[in-house]
This record gives sequence, C-alpha cells and structure tokens, in this order.
Amino acid sequence: MSAKPKIAFYEFTSCEGCQLTVVDSLQLYPELLEAVDIVRFREAMSEMGDDYAIAFIEGSCSRPSDEAPIKAIREKAALVVALGACAHLGGINTIRNRHDLGEVRRFVYGDKAEWYDTYPARPISAVIKVDAAIPGCPIDRHEFVRTVKRLLQGRAPELPDHPLCVECKLKENVCLYLRGTTCLGPIVRAGCDAICPTYGDSCEGCRGLVPNPNIEHLKEVLTEHGLSVDQTLAKMTQFLTYQVMEMEAAGHGDPQPAH
Amino acid sequence: MVTALKQTLIDPSIYLPTYGVVRNVRPMTGMEKLFDIALPEGMSLGHKPGQFVEVSLFGVGEAPISICSSPSRSNGGFQLCVRRAGDLTGLLHTLTPGSPIGIRGPFGTGFPIERFRGKDMLFAPGGLGLAPLRSLINQVLDERSDFGRVIILYGARSPAELLFTDELAAWKARGDVEVHLTVDRGDENWKGNVGVITTLFPKVEVHPRNTVAVTVGPPVMYRFVLMELLGKGLPDGSIWLSLERRMKCGVGKCGHCQINHLYACQSGPSFSYAQIKHLGEAL
Amino acid sequence: MNPMIIPKAALDDWVRLLRSSYRVVAPRPLHGQHVFGEVGSASEFDLGYPTSVLPPKKYLFPAREDLLKFRTDAQQVEATIDGPRTVVLGVHTCDMHAMQLLDRVMATGYSDQHYLAHRNKTTLVSVECLKPCTAGSFCKSMGTLSTPEVFDLHLTDLGDAYAAEVGSDRGAALLPGLKAARPFADKDTARLNRVMSEKWPRFPLRLEFDVTELPSLLSTSYDSELWKELGERCLACAMCTNVCPTCYCFNVMDEVDLTLKSGKRLREWDSCQLDKFATVAGGHNFRTARAARQRHRFFRKGKYQTDAFGLLGCVGCGRCAEACLVHITPVDTFNELYRRQHQPAAATPQGG
Repeated sequence: MSAKPKIAFYEFTSCEGCQLTVVDSLQLYPELLEAVDIVRFREAMSEMGDDYAIAFIEGSCSRPSDEAPIKAIREKAALVVALGACAHLGGINTIRNRHDLGEVRRFVYGDKAEWYDTYPARPISAVIKVDAAIPGCPIDRHEFVRTVKRLLQGRAPELPDHPLCVECKLKENVCLYLRGTTCLGPIVRAGCDAICPTYGDSCEGCRGLVPNPNIEHLKEVLTEHGLSVDQTLAKMTQFLTYQVMEMEAAGHGDPQPAH
Repeated sequence: MVTALKQTLIDPSIYLPTYGVVRNVRPMTGMEKLFDIALPEGMSLGHKPGQFVEVSLFGVGEAPISICSSPSRSNGGFQLCVRRAGDLTGLLHTLTPGSPIGIRGPFGTGFPIERFRGKDMLFAPGGLGLAPLRSLINQVLDERSDFGRVIILYGARSPAELLFTDELAAWKARGDVEVHLTVDRGDENWKGNVGVITTLFPKVEVHPRNTVAVTVGPPVMYRFVLMELLGKGLPDGSIWLSLERRMKCGVGKCGHCQINHLYACQSGPSFSYAQIKHLGEAL
Repeated sequence: MNPMIIPKAALDDWVRLLRSSYRVVAPRPLHGQHVFGEVGSASEFDLGYPTSVLPPKKYLFPAREDLLKFRTDAQQVEATIDGPRTVVLGVHTCDMHAMQLLDRVMATGYSDQHYLAHRNKTTLVSVECLKPCTAGSFCKSMGTLSTPEVFDLHLTDLGDAYAAEVGSDRGAALLPGLKAARPFADKDTARLNRVMSEKWPRFPLRLEFDVTELPSLLSTSYDSELWKELGERCLACAMCTNVCPTCYCFNVMDEVDLTLKSGKRLREWDSCQLDKFATVAGGHNFRTARAARQRHRFFRKGKYQTDAFGLLGCVGCGRCAEACLVHITPVDTFNELYRRQHQPAAATPQGG
C-alpha cells in the first residue's frame, strides 16, 4: 500500500480498554500516525469517518442487534482485525454461556431483565470472516504495532503459537507452580511477554489456547497443586469458555494424538 | 575470476545473503511461477542438481527453495520454480523483472550424478517435485551419451497443474527419452493416463541392477513409489529421493530440518533409500 | 601459570577492577532463585549459588539476537556481529561442559560467526561445585563434575579464599592489578586437595548404569513404549529446552520499522518440543506427536550429539528436571529405559 491506509475502530460488547491501549501505543510509537490515517476512533477523536480500508473491532457479539453492524463493517473494510480478547475469543462475556441466560439477565439487570435481548456471547469471527486477531485483555501495545506493520506490508499477521511458559522462562521468572500457586501458562498462547506471571499473577488465559493444548494433563497438574476439579474448570472459564465449549462440541478435549 | 556464491558465507556471516536480481518471471500454473535470477557480476552459484538456495525478501524472511535449472545451462544465473504456499512465497509471486532478491547457498549435497553415469535413469517426480528433478534431468540430457535409457514418469493432480509442459513435450520429441504422464483427475481435453503416479510403473520395464531411480514429490507419495521401485527389484542404494523439511538456516545449525540424527540441509535433502530406510523420521 | 589465591575479602576489589575493562556478569539472587546478570560489586552475587534459571549459555548464544540489518528501499544489508567484552563469573562445571559442546557445534561445518564473536569476547570463570545443587542434578553420573579444559580461570572455594587456576591467557589477564592476589603456597595446595577429596563423596551417582552405555541404550530404545507415556504427560511447554545449557535450535525472523524502509533479521531460541517446530511451508508437520518430540529431545541429548561431536548432549545440570511440571526428567527416563531392557518383567511406568 502506497497511500496511507485509512483505519477505523469499532466497539461492541467490551470495556474499550483495548482501544485505550491503542492510544497508549500511539504515545509509544508516534510514527504510527505517519503510517496510517485514523478516520474513526472515539477514544481519541470526535470525527466519525466511514471510509476505511482496515477496521479494528473490539468487543464480542452478544445480542442479535450486534450482527447487522458487524456485517456492515465487513462489507466496507478490506481487512477486519479482531482487537482484544472479547473480539478474538468472546472474552469474559462468554462466562455466561454456560449458564441459563434468563437467570443471568435477571442477576445482572434485575427487574429490567426484559429490556435486554442478550444471547450467548461470540467472538467476531463467529459472525464474519476476520483477517487477523490481536489477542489479550487488554491487547499488547507492541503486538498491535507489529500487526499494523504486517498489514502495511500486505502480509497476514501471525500469532505466536508457542505457550506462555516459553516467554516466562526466558524472563527467568519464578515459575508460579514453584511458588505454590497455579497458572494456565503451559496451554496459553504467548505474545504478552508473560506480563502477568512477571508481576506474580497467574495466567488466566486471555490470549486463548495454543494449537493442540494438552488440557487433559494440565488438569492433572492443577489437581496435583491442590485445585479441585471444580476449581480447575473454573480456572478455564474466564477467557477460554468459548474455545473450550467449541472443543467439547467437536468431541475432543485434547485434539492432539499423544503418539 | 568467478567467485562461488558459497564463498561469501565465510566472512562476515553465514546468514548474510547476497543480492541477486530477478531477470524474468514466467507463470507456470495457477500456483507456480518460474523465476530466473542473476547473481552479481563475477559470482556464480556453482550448484549441483538437488541442491537448494535460501531465498530472502528483506523484511519478510527467508525460505529454502530447490534450484530447478541445470548447472549445465547456468547462463549466468539460475532458476527457481516457486509454489505460492505461504507468506514469503506469496510475496515472491508479486516480484517483477528487476526486483532485488537475497540469495544464500547453494546448500545440501545434491544428487551424486557421477555415480549415475552409465546407468539407465528412471525419474519419477510428483507435482512440484519436477522442479528439483528438472535440474538433474537437463544435466543428464546435456550429457546424454553418458547415460543409458532415460525414463520420466510424471504425475500431477490435474492437467492444469502439470509443470514445464513445453519441456516435457521437447523431451518426448527428442526420441531418446521415454516420457509418461498421468493426472489424478483429467479434464475434457486430457487424453492421457488418469490415476496416481504408481499407475505408470507397470508401463515400463527396467533392468533393476542397471537402473537408478530418482523420485521427488510430496511425503505421501514416497511410500507408494518406493513399493513400485523395490517391487521392480531396484537395490535400496539405487533409489534416490529428496526429503522436504523446514531448512530454516541451511547451514546445519537451527535444528528444524533434522531427520533423526541427520540434518536434511547438510546430509540431504537428496538421500538414497539405503541411507534413510532405517530412520524412523524419514518417511 | 601457577595457581593464585584470591582472598574472599578482595572479591569486591576484583569485580570493580574487572569492570573497568569488561561487563561482569554473575549469579544474582532473585526471588529465591539465581539469575545470571550484570553485577557492580561482590555483594550482588553469590558464587556458592545452587543453580541458575537459565544457563550462562545466554551470553554466547542470546535468547534473541540480531543477525543482520537491512534497508528495503535500497540494496543494503550487513551482518550484525557485536557484543561487549564479558567476564562470566561462577560458571558451574556442567555448564562449562555444555559450552564446550556448543563450541564444537558452532565451529563444525559452517562456523557461526555470531556465536564465535561472543565466545571470543567472553572470559569464563568457572567455579568448583562442592555439594549437589538440586534434586534434579546428576553431574557425577554424566562425568561433568570437573571442569573441562576450555576454562579460562577456575575458582575453588577454600573457605576464606578462592584458589584460582589459570586455563588460558584470557583467564590470566583477569589477575594482574589485583593486589590482594598471591601465589599458591604449599599449605594452599594441601587445602585444595582436601576440599577436592571431601567433595566427591557428597555427590550421588544417580544413573543405574555407566553413562558410556547411554548412546547404545538409546539406539535400542527407539520403539520403547516409554516415549508414548512421556508424550501423554508432556505439556509441550518447551521449558525443558529453554533451560537446557546445550540446546541451540533457533528460529529466524525479520522485523521492520513502521516506515517499512529498514529492519533487521534476528534469531530467537526455538524448541523441538513446540507444536510447529518441524512444520514446512505447505503445512505438513514432520513431528506431530509429543511422544516423538520427547524422543527426539532425549536422543539429541544422549546419542545424536555424541555421535556427531563426541560429547554428550546432556551435562546433568538438572534444570529441565526442576522446571518440568509433569516430572519428566533425564535421570528417570534413562534409568527407566535401562530397567525395561534389563529387567523387562519388573518394568513399571515411570514414577512421578
């Protein structure tokens, strides 16, 4: 692409924290503004252009009325990028997918429950074809910039497909399991520079599962470190519900042959 | 004086490519293009059939690609037949004549053509496997009197995916090359054989102990072609193949191309069946 | 050169002296572990450390290292071969053996100039291990409890002082200027000999067979069921290879700046345990099963490297055993293979 590509940001069910991280990226990499032309970005500007080549969508699709605007973006954009865990995996919004939605609505909205038409939350890729995803809750600033560069080069962005343990060990962190706590690092996609374990927090899986995770045996490790089956499953509900339910529906908790 | 490209790796870095230039690009099929590449003045590739180069597009990366031109027809450059398979090859397909391109190599051992002289040659390429074999076939044809019969059994998925169709026709027209083609699925214009490559083997008879077979194709093809060749009585050491692996560095360091203890980029990727038959990871 | 005595009280002076000509790195305590890092004074490190999270290999073969820099708008590319002159203080003898292997690997066939440049700028000060460091280590069984000849300077803790034996000119160059250092006296030799003779019994032999049998044990264990059992447990997290002092597989990638006009090519540690390690451009993966990947790892450690370079690929440091969440360890693996071959009836699944 020779002219500066026009980019737009959209948000569905989300906290818009990933777009705030984009604002942060702009401070870290001011040259981004030389490389792209932002036409819609409500976190940072009041103009609302709708002529764009690349659309970044934050948030999950969580009600029927989300679908038409998501499809309209796909019609308009040459490239659609899912921005952050909600758009990429459905995010924390999918925790409700394992519960009765009527109850969830009553719990959240009380006597206004009838006003809302929510349904099981889904990632954007369940509604339209997305060309790339930037995982994380929130996204990683450097990865956002890496993704933009790949798109500017005309290349499909690539996510790291190794587990978090790789990055964590290279930082020479104390393994959280050695500290007597637990972590989803062995089955979760790296790329965040192991930021949570670096600060002593266990990985909750916001970047999603690696390809071919050995979930079955990780459950045994979690049990060995004192988690009950319920706690172990709870550990995987925060960000991974959609992925895990999809794997269950496909009939394999662990798709990789052991031998 | 001509410098071999490989000499450039001695100093300063084995990972430093040399800029070549794309002289010509020829679309072959929907998926493959033929690139003709020239090295800088005074530099030659000096390759053997079966070797590969590491091709760089700076800013994108590097990928191993078999050399498909014959050393006997180097003409100051060399050729690569590239299938659009990933990121780098996708961008390679957008290159036009005059584009710079990074080259390191040649790497690998190549086919030991000196051991093939005096023998009947049976070539069995499948799909893109014709690219590396074209290098060897043309070398053999350029030294035709050194070899006995030359038989080519070539299979592709469909008529549109046959590579080097002009050369296949020319080889056939020479009269001293037996060319048999097959496609997995024909079309309305296809009048030749339909079926996988192994359906061609019953059509030729060979002298098992005076024949060298060289086969290059996708991993799944080898098991079946080997059964045919062994069934004709060819000794293990007379069957040669090329094993595709992820030869990331080309210089025996990065570990990606390892087949048991062997680095494909160093000991191969051309191997005789005798060399690899006992390796659990080879086929 | 005769051995020298460096009083422990002079360690701080020594570090400050070295820092005028070198980057000095040593094992620093960090959150209950030890991590090799730059030090400014003797109070910042501990030469009696048990083990480090990553081996000092990282100074010769960094986890992420630039290979080339280039421009995309001009035909301009050059190699990046750079790095500070470094003294690594406190290298354990197992890690010294590992670096001896890396030296051979990197200088065999095509010489890796990037590694060799670091190597030539690095002075290795090894330290004698006087007691076993972790439950996972088994250096005595692997024959790595004494330093190999590639050391530059070798220290042995004598209590209030270090015996410093010089192995090379590079090592000798570290001592001039340190006024407190003095040549060995007879009593120092006696002290050194006593320390050495006392240390050996403290180290257990943990392999149930002689290590020279390891390559042949592996060659007859290729089809062992044990690989399948390890594959079922393995999380493919690659911690074992990341902490290994002899692993050197790497990936290569390009990075560009936002103008897309300039960039660099770099390499990053990779691992045969990762899912995509042996996947080619068309998508075919030549080592899909975790069992095959674990087998490949142990064959490299116990056979392939030995066949190719004459040195064992495992130095018994025990880091992988300590790191593995599913308790796959070289000692248990090698012993279990041995038991299954020699007492087939008594074979049990590997413990853990």
